Amino acid sequence: MPIHEKSLIRPENLTTHEELTLDGVDVSGHWSTFIETRVVKDYNESLQDEIAALPGGEEIHRCWQCGSCTNACTVNAINEDFNPRYWIYLIRMGMESELLRDKDIIWQCVSCNKCTYACPRDVFPEGVMKATAHWLERKGHTEKSPSTHFDEVFTEQVVKTGKIEESRTMRRFFSRTGQALVQPWLIEMVKRMLRGLPVGMLTRMGLATLVAPRTNDWSSASAAIQEYIDEQHEKQSQALSLAELVETAKQDVAT
Amino acid sequence: MTTKDKYKKVAYYPGCALEGSGHSYNRSTKAVGKALGLDLVEVKNWNCCGAMEVKNIDPKIQTYLSSRVMSTAANEMDMDVVMAPCNGCYHNLKKAEYDLANDKESAEVVDRLSQKAGHKTYESGQVETIHALDWIKESIGEDGLAERVKNSLSGIKIANYYGCMYTRPRHIFPEKDQGPGSESTSKPHFMDDLLAAAGAENVDFPLKTACCGGAHTLSDSDTSTKLVLNILKAAKLSGADVIATECPTCHSGLEMHQIRAEKTLGETVDIKILYFTQLLGMALGLKAKKVGVHENISDSIKFLKERGLG
Repeated sequence: MPIHEKSLIRPENLTTHEELTLDGVDVSGHWSTFIETRVVKDYNESLQDEIAALPGGEEIHRCWQCGSCTNACTVNAINEDFNPRYWIYLIRMGMESELLRDKDIIWQCVSCNKCTYACPRDVFPEGVMKATAHWLERKGHTEKSPSTHFDEVFTEQVVKTGKIEESRTMRRFFSRTGQALVQPWLIEMVKRMLRGLPVGMLTRMGLATLVAPRTNDWSSASAAIQEYIDEQHEKQSQALSLAELVETAKQDVAT
Repeated sequence: MTTKDKYKKVAYYPGCALEGSGHSYNRSTKAVGKALGLDLVEVKNWNCCGAMEVKNIDPKIQTYLSSRVMSTAANEMDMDVVMAPCNGCYHNLKKAEYDLANDKESAEVVDRLSQKAGHKTYESGQVETIHALDWIKESIGEDGLAERVKNSLSGIKIANYYGCMYTRPRHIFPEKDQGPGSESTSKPHFMDDLLAAAGAENVDFPLKTACCGGAHTLSDSDTSTKLVLNILKAAKLSGADVIATECPTCHSGLEMHQIRAEKTLGETVDIKILYFTQLLGMALGLKAKKVGVHENISDSIKFLKERGLG
């Protein structure tokens, strides 16, 4: 489907007339469904720059819309609405409202990098998907996705201790996203895992959940990383004009 | 020094997963190394490579974390080669190497963080990062392996599953796709080669580099289950008894979602899942316990016994 017409032929932009004659020609009925004229006025001209200011989005301007990314995409194969090529187009055109229609699925990119492998222009579409998902969250268009919660829980642990202990990450993730840890398939998995394990191994695993493994002399690295993360976060907030956004919201509330 | 000799003693970077869910991969990698007379020296006081999660928060922090591991190997242990069996760790070290060589800004951030953390900054080119597959393939080779096989894997049909991070994106693996003898990013074959040398029959498996949805294994489990189910079914339809893996995230993803598919979708696919190092270890005459088969969630003990292995 040509890109431009996608929004025009949505049901809400079509009209069917019971009785309509134009220049003596009867054009009533469904066959002559009309497309409402639509003038796009709500371009966000800084949309591409904002995405490019977030990690992964830097090379979005290189895209020439060949569609190799979508063609190679793992998630597109199971959900055809997941369309990196189309989203990159919308971002480059500044068509924010169109992009927002898909806001709840963009985070589902599995980072398999098939798009990046296929891309002839080094756009790094995988990075663009991450940047777009973060943009949606930072701008308040979506809640933090489960994936972002997981990334945060994971990163917090690495910054703190230098290492990851999986069961701890998992427990924190489930608690932060308000999910029960006791899910039937997880119980079954643990059961099967325990079946073959010797006592020594169980003790070792038990200890790991109590005493987190850590990298020694990590505190200065930890502090340096945290400082850098905070600094980048601030830079990105400025690039996304988040302070102005908050100010506008405050004024809206006041009036 | 030839590559063959260079890989005989390498710095070993197991990474976090190999101390947790991928423990049997750790155990079997070490056991295979020992059986083959290869020397693994664990990277001292290592840290997480940053994985995909830290990369999502900030790619340069991931580059720093990976660079610290390489810096320790190079500057504190005087090693030339770092071997990482985990696809994630391997990928991240390769990515850090590429970024440090090609992106000035990344190099500056890494330098700044390394100084603050109080260790030498890693300079690109100080070490070569390799995967456990390169390690065995280059130092021992198919012929060397075939000579040492005590229990042939003959009669076992294997689908070799390489996952995403071992070959993609292409630019961080400059040594791949270099013609005969090198690894291919579109049709990887190192694992096939090694297991064939151990007597196994590799099936023609179209989803070698498909994605298991490991990134969202917990945050979007339904997607992961669908993707894993595709892989399991394709392997089964290709005639395989076993899926051989080379990554702890892929491996536990396949195991977890094999069960989840059973429990949530009522879809059971009877196929065994084993690390390639477990299969090689048993071919070299090691007991199943020695290579951690009992630590896997996927139960293959009976299957292996019937075929005179482990």
